[in-house]
Amino acid sequence: MSIFFPSGRSARRLTSFGHRLGIVAVTLLGLLALTFFIGRVMPLDPVLSIVGSDADQSTYDQVFKQLGLDQPLYTQFAYYLRDLLHGDLGRALLTGNAVTADIARVFPATIELATIAILFGTFVGVPLGVFAATRKGRMGDQVVRVISLCGYSVPVFWFGMMGLIIFYAWLDWAGGAGRVDLAFDGLVQSRTGLLLVDSALAGEWEVFHSAIKHITLPACILGLHSMAYIARMTRSFMLAQLSQEYIITARVKGLSEHEVIWNHAFRNILVQLLTIVALAYGSLLEGAVLIETVFAWPGFGSYLTSSLLLGDMNAVMGCVLLIGIIFVTLNLIADALYQVFDPRTR
Amino acid sequence: MKLPYLLAACALSIAMIGSAQAKTPTDQLIIGMSMNNLLSLDPAGATGNDVVEVNANMYDSLVELDPADTYKILPGLAESWSVAADNRSITFKIRKGVKFHSGNPLTAEDAAWSLQRVLKLNLALASVWKGYGFTAANVEQNIRALDAETLVLTLPEPTDPKLVVYTLGTSVGAMVLDRKKVLANEKDGDMGRAWLTTNEAGSGPFALNEWRQKDVLLMTRYDGYWRSPAKLKRVVLRHMTESQTLRLMLERGDIDVANGMSVPDVEAMKKNPNVGIEAVKRGNVYYVAVSVKDAKFADKRVRLAIRNLIDYDGINKTVMPNYGLYHQRPVQMGLPATLPNPGYKLDVPAARKLLAEAGFPNGFKTTIRVLSDPPFINIATNLQSTLALGGIEASVIPGTGNQVYGAMRDRQFEIIVGRGGGGAEPHPHSSLRSLVYNPDNRDEAKLTNFQGWRTSFISPEINALIEKAEIEQDEKKQTAMYQEIQKLYDQQVGAIQPVSQMVDTVVLQKDVRNFHSHPASTTRWREVSKQR
Repeated sequence: MSIFFPSGRSARRLTSFGHRLGIVAVTLLGLLALTFFIGRVMPLDPVLSIVGSDADQSTYDQVFKQLGLDQPLYTQFAYYLRDLLHGDLGRALLTGNAVTADIARVFPATIELATIAILFGTFVGVPLGVFAATRKGRMGDQVVRVISLCGYSVPVFWFGMMGLIIFYAWLDWAGGAGRVDLAFDGLVQSRTGLLLVDSALAGEWEVFHSAIKHITLPACILGLHSMAYIARMTRSFMLAQLSQEYIITARVKGLSEHEVIWNHAFRNILVQLLTIVALAYGSLLEGAVLIETVFAWPGFGSYLTSSLLLGDMNAVMGCVLLIGIIFVTLNLIADALYQVFDPRTR
Repeated sequence: MKLPYLLAACALSIAMIGSAQAKTPTDQLIIGMSMNNLLSLDPAGATGNDVVEVNANMYDSLVELDPADTYKILPGLAESWSVAADNRSITFKIRKGVKFHSGNPLTAEDAAWSLQRVLKLNLALASVWKGYGFTAANVEQNIRALDAETLVLTLPEPTDPKLVVYTLGTSVGAMVLDRKKVLANEKDGDMGRAWLTTNEAGSGPFALNEWRQKDVLLMTRYDGYWRSPAKLKRVVLRHMTESQTLRLMLERGDIDVANGMSVPDVEAMKKNPNVGIEAVKRGNVYYVAVSVKDAKFADKRVRLAIRNLIDYDGINKTVMPNYGLYHQRPVQMGLPATLPNPGYKLDVPAARKLLAEAGFPNGFKTTIRVLSDPPFINIATNLQSTLALGGIEASVIPGTGNQVYGAMRDRQFEIIVGRGGGGAEPHPHSSLRSLVYNPDNRDEAKLTNFQGWRTSFISPEINALIEKAEIEQDEKKQTAMYQEIQKLYDQQVGAIQPVSQMVDTVVLQKDVRNFHSHPASTTRWREVSKQR
């Protein structure tokens, strides 16, 4: 069979891949169209954000025209799509930079924060959930449920302020606002945008230490919410598994409790857990505006929010597109991992 | 060790750690502030006060106004200046030997080109110059460099030359750019606009080192500064929007200056012996404005009723501390021409009587558009309750500045609680032009930069007097005219009722010396130092 005429199985895979790609493209296009048209009907005027509320009408009209806002909406959208196909997300109206450059600057700060937060959330949340499930109704279970409830329902903003007061102002364990002490700002050349990685690569260990000190508190507080969610879901998944007959069989066979829980029950919730963790990670990457505000973290969430409030739709569209791509990618990864962990889905 | 002793030891160690205060480096000034409004560094397109302060330290102006006494005009890049006998031109002698950060020499041609650029680009800062009659078409003819050291401004329309000099000292658009450097970065004939959004081409005491929008702005000392190099080596502005975070960092000594702290936090900081608080009066006023386009408010008696339904004392005592000072005149406080406050008070019976006479014995329904931030929203809430006493049922519509002033510019509002009034120049015309003057009340005129036009309030008598006072050369007569305008505005019950004069509060470490907030936001850091 030549490469132009693949075998039946390969053809099916190719068709499936093409089908998925089509769905992804339509989803992203829909997302962009929706954001674009909602953005245009929002009562926010990007021209006023640029010229200020005291500008005279001729200045206003000039900038209105320069932004292409005098064109019909469909023409504006068509121009946007044309530029997008050339890899150009336009210029952020308010920073004057290319949107891609702005996102490349702010997104690594969020990746760094979100990754540590999700690691914290997962490595604390999963064992807590398993622990609670194996002690259902007992003191340990109640304690985990209360912790989860607090982590889930107490506003992250409040946790942030309390964290700053206790760990930064009183105990001096954590760094204050920002990604690094100001004395170190600009000392490390940006290669990846991830300050921890860049400072380690440059061998600037003092900067690395300062960056760790600054990121730990916001990441843990951000991770608390994910931890609570993951712990609750893990508990619930585990409870469902522990009541299954194969668990009783395993116990009857004389397997140790550790083996029953981790090798049998836990293995079976991995697929569901992966989805939960992937979605939680996606939400964290989408930006944690409140934590970024409290900790003056120059991340993606605050960039998106401030752009939205100023009506900077080029920036908003770029951010929405990225969020869409993140979720689609995470879903695809989760789907792929399903096949690794669950032979039935192959 | 027994548990109580262990706990006591832990508590003691925590207390000791807590009392240790970090210190910023002695040769750096660290400023915490919101950079949300720091959008473009281009002096021609700059909006908001924050960028004025930043640019005032990277660029130089022809003249400066003394922060302690804003009437006092100090030489800047212009060593001296003279006004022609007919008040129609001003000649500036430009200082020799000044060099831009690039090393290029600064000449009168740079100064002329910088001002011409503002008009040609027609961005935010062009408005004030257009008010003096300059246009993109006439600017080359009216702003000229005779030689490398002589700059001549010919005023296209009669005005008070002092006012123009004040504008040169306060407007960020009047700062002098390095023409060669900007033109080297020009793209598609934009006169360097795109490049200057994130770069600078100045001659000021500090040079831009790095600006990461909504993160950090770093400036380093320019050692070739023509006065003498700044005392501090570096200035760092860090983006912080949360007032509590600013407070904690200030208390810990991690920042030197905090801009934009909330009133409760400023109040709390007053008890801290390590910090000082500096309040500076700005030219703007907080006001309650009504739209005369609305039939109800076109009736003078209804406007007077609204004036009687504002609780000036209550608002100024409870809402405005650290935000504003009791003020009821459309001319900014503290000028020789400013009349004493007329003493308007909350007078519900008088308001009810006026409303009944105007045909609204049971009041009416209306809306108050307002910014959702303090103190605006607090003033609006207070107003809502006092309007209700007069039978007026007002619903509050909060929004962003963009939404509130956008509606005002479109003349689509009934009542607005806002802030405005120009006032950067210490001259009554600056306030009156912004708040009261309305030379053409037609919708098509779209004089959106005049708040007077936005309210649709027009008084030909007041307009004529404003125009006359602007060109009056006799200072005493001019002052009398401005006082007459205020009396007329009082009698005619203007659409904008000032409630409070704006105050800006900065909290700073006690060891920061010579930090003088400027009423026009041109706070200069070149003399700032730290004493430890």
